[in-house]
Amino acid sequence: MLILIPQDAATVLRASGAWGRLSLRISQPDDLAVVGGISEGGGSIISVDPPPPAPRLLASCDSRPTGYWYRAKNELHALWHLLRVRRDTAMKLDVFKDAVPNGFKTPGDGGYVALTHAPGVKDAYPESRLPDLVAWHVTRAGFQPLEMSAEPETTGIRQLDHHWPVQELQNAHIMLVGAGSIGSATAHALAGYGIGHLTLVDPDRLQWHNLVRHTSSRRHIGRTKVTALAEELTQLRPDTAVTPLALDVIEHADQIRALLMDTHLVVCTADGVAARRVTGHLARRADRTAILACVLQYGALGEIIRLHPWRRHGCLTCRRHSLTEAGSLDPEPALDAGYGTGTRHRPMTAVGPDLHLVAHLAAKTAAATLLEHAGHPDQRLPGEHALIGLRRQPGWAAPFDLGRTAELRWLPATPPRPGCPTCEAP
Amino acid sequence: MPGLNGEPEEAHRMGIDEAFDALQKSVDEDIKKTRLARGRRDLFKEALLKEPDVLETFGSGSLSRSTQLKPIHDVDIVVVYDPDEHPEWGSSGPSAEEALEHIRSQVNRLLSQSKGTHATVVRHTLLRNHAVKCFLDDPDDPEAFTVDVMAALRQPDNSLLIPEQLSARWVPANPEYLINMVAEHQRDWSYFRPLVRLLKQWRLDVQVEGRIKSLVMEVLALQCLPASGNRCQGLKTFFTAAATRVNEGVWDPAGLCGEIQPDLDREGLSAAFAEAADLADQACTAAAEGDTDEALRLWQEIFGEDFPAPAAAPKSTALIGAPALISPRPIKDAPQG
Repeated sequence: MLILIPQDAATVLRASGAWGRLSLRISQPDDLAVVGGISEGGGSIISVDPPPPAPRLLASCDSRPTGYWYRAKNELHALWHLLRVRRDTAMKLDVFKDAVPNGFKTPGDGGYVALTHAPGVKDAYPESRLPDLVAWHVTRAGFQPLEMSAEPETTGIRQLDHHWPVQELQNAHIMLVGAGSIGSATAHALAGYGIGHLTLVDPDRLQWHNLVRHTSSRRHIGRTKVTALAEELTQLRPDTAVTPLALDVIEHADQIRALLMDTHLVVCTADGVAARRVTGHLARRADRTAILACVLQYGALGEIIRLHPWRRHGCLTCRRHSLTEAGSLDPEPALDAGYGTGTRHRPMTAVGPDLHLVAHLAAKTAAATLLEHAGHPDQRLPGEHALIGLRRQPGWAAPFDLGRTAELRWLPATPPRPGCPTCEAP
Repeated sequence: MPGLNGEPEEAHRMGIDEAFDALQKSVDEDIKKTRLARGRRDLFKEALLKEPDVLETFGSGSLSRSTQLKPIHDVDIVVVYDPDEHPEWGSSGPSAEEALEHIRSQVNRLLSQSKGTHATVVRHTLLRNHAVKCFLDDPDDPEAFTVDVMAALRQPDNSLLIPEQLSARWVPANPEYLINMVAEHQRDWSYFRPLVRLLKQWRLDVQVEGRIKSLVMEVLALQCLPASGNRCQGLKTFFTAAATRVNEGVWDPAGLCGEIQPDLDREGLSAAFAEAADLADQACTAAAEGDTDEALRLWQEIFGEDFPAPAAAPKSTALIGAPALISPRPIKDAPQG
């Protein structure tokens, strides 16, 4: 059985005296129990359930008095570790009794679950990383260790402090335009990197045909994609504040323009040429870097473009134009077609994981851009334009002539074209 | 970023620290000369402050921020005048030049070598675009020490209006903003000012089109140097961040004077920063692995011969085809799920 000790329960146990009673919520089918109440000595049991809106662990199980907790000697926790290594090894009850000098309760026929708290164990065994709270099954025949998991004091992205630049990314504000297949996965990945503020922009609603590629589940059908995503992210990654805006980047360009003033970076996963152009244009005018992610050729190629608002870096239109001039890009209207609209000769289309692969590279590009800007040399990217082979096909023109599936190619920026209404100052 | 390629604090710090100290010594001006410059500046401030139309005087420029390079040829002071005494000042027209002429006459009366009433130190004065340049040495001497005196009118938001002779206008400026920003960064991190001086010296050897204004480096340092850590980490962070930031242009941090150097070779300087970032990153990695000599050589590659470093290790010639002494690190086969 695994015994879960939520943070509030652990805090109460650590602050209490010598012994007390426990109530547990037990799920027999899951072989799982959660500490739900604690008493000080023989006093009444006080609930230590996590406060709402935190999920109530095993909410369907009643809380019942099923055990005890004791202040223990450090050696008992070393024994807990050894007995777990040996597996299915029990020790005589006297050993346990000696290790809990106060309040020991003799078990009945079924035995009971016990938690022990050894406050000095970290000082006594500094290198061992032994936990100060452990769980036992205590019976008349003897006692055995139980699996135990205590909620740490620090959870979420701050667990990675000192290993990852948490604070810098927590202070970052990214606008994500497009909350569809790539956008939803990008939002999850950005939150996973620890981005502190996300503004989601997309007017669309989640429909049944979206489910095969979107990260949101069937329960959100009919809601706007940004609302569904915001709700999911808030639950999954509470360190990221999400603002959902059911806006169209073209139709509501004025509102987007104003919002960009508080935004450090724009990521666009919208799947229309016009929406991508408008996003790139607005970002450049606001002096913000934009990262555009999409798939081309019916999902056979992934593409990430980073657009810095710098003098020698052209906008999306300039870059597309240079590829078109080089004969490598055909600006056909089909670029606007949705996934799955290929012909009989091209029956395959983009699948969720391929789109999510592109999404995660877009999120990585965004996080790396912010971190390079903050001075982290290990986050520099090899170029401004990435191509990923998702389903390689022979005969594509360079630079799209990727040799194998999953090949990744980075290209440099291309300069602005003379007269470009986006790149040249208004 | 602690833990991400950052070298441990203890990793051979003494050797590298000492080398940075030596470099710093080669860049910093001798304290006696600095005191002399400050004394000359204070003499001007004191003299002009006694004038009935002057409300305040203060030093500006790099000496006031303690970010000056050697040799110190000039110091800057700002003289804030009482607008009630000069009601015509502050408006476009001849008043900009009149204000500079007014300063010149005051300086000559108070401080000229022949008839100064406060001191006899100024040999010659010249009207420049924003200030009166006062020569304390022979004006023909290229090393001549000068004091640049600027007139100003205090504005309600505490910024200044200063005369611009060429355009016959009074333009906004806020030199105190930068002074305060530098002081604040220094309070947070005692390496700040010394590193600004190192970086200003570093720029002199950078291969770019045209020159790089000293103020460009100072503002980039404010934006890109961290507020904690050791010098190696700070420089690694600076070069990396500056390589991207310089592409955005370097602007007056007070938001009044616009881009500091519109003709700056942004791309060239960005490339130089990126190259230095690579070397700094390698130097930090070498230090973390205990290879202090290699770290010192890499820092020397960035800062030049004034940064002390051992000679490169001789290549092994004992065995033909012997493996290189330093080889790329192998990746450990320790998968993490």
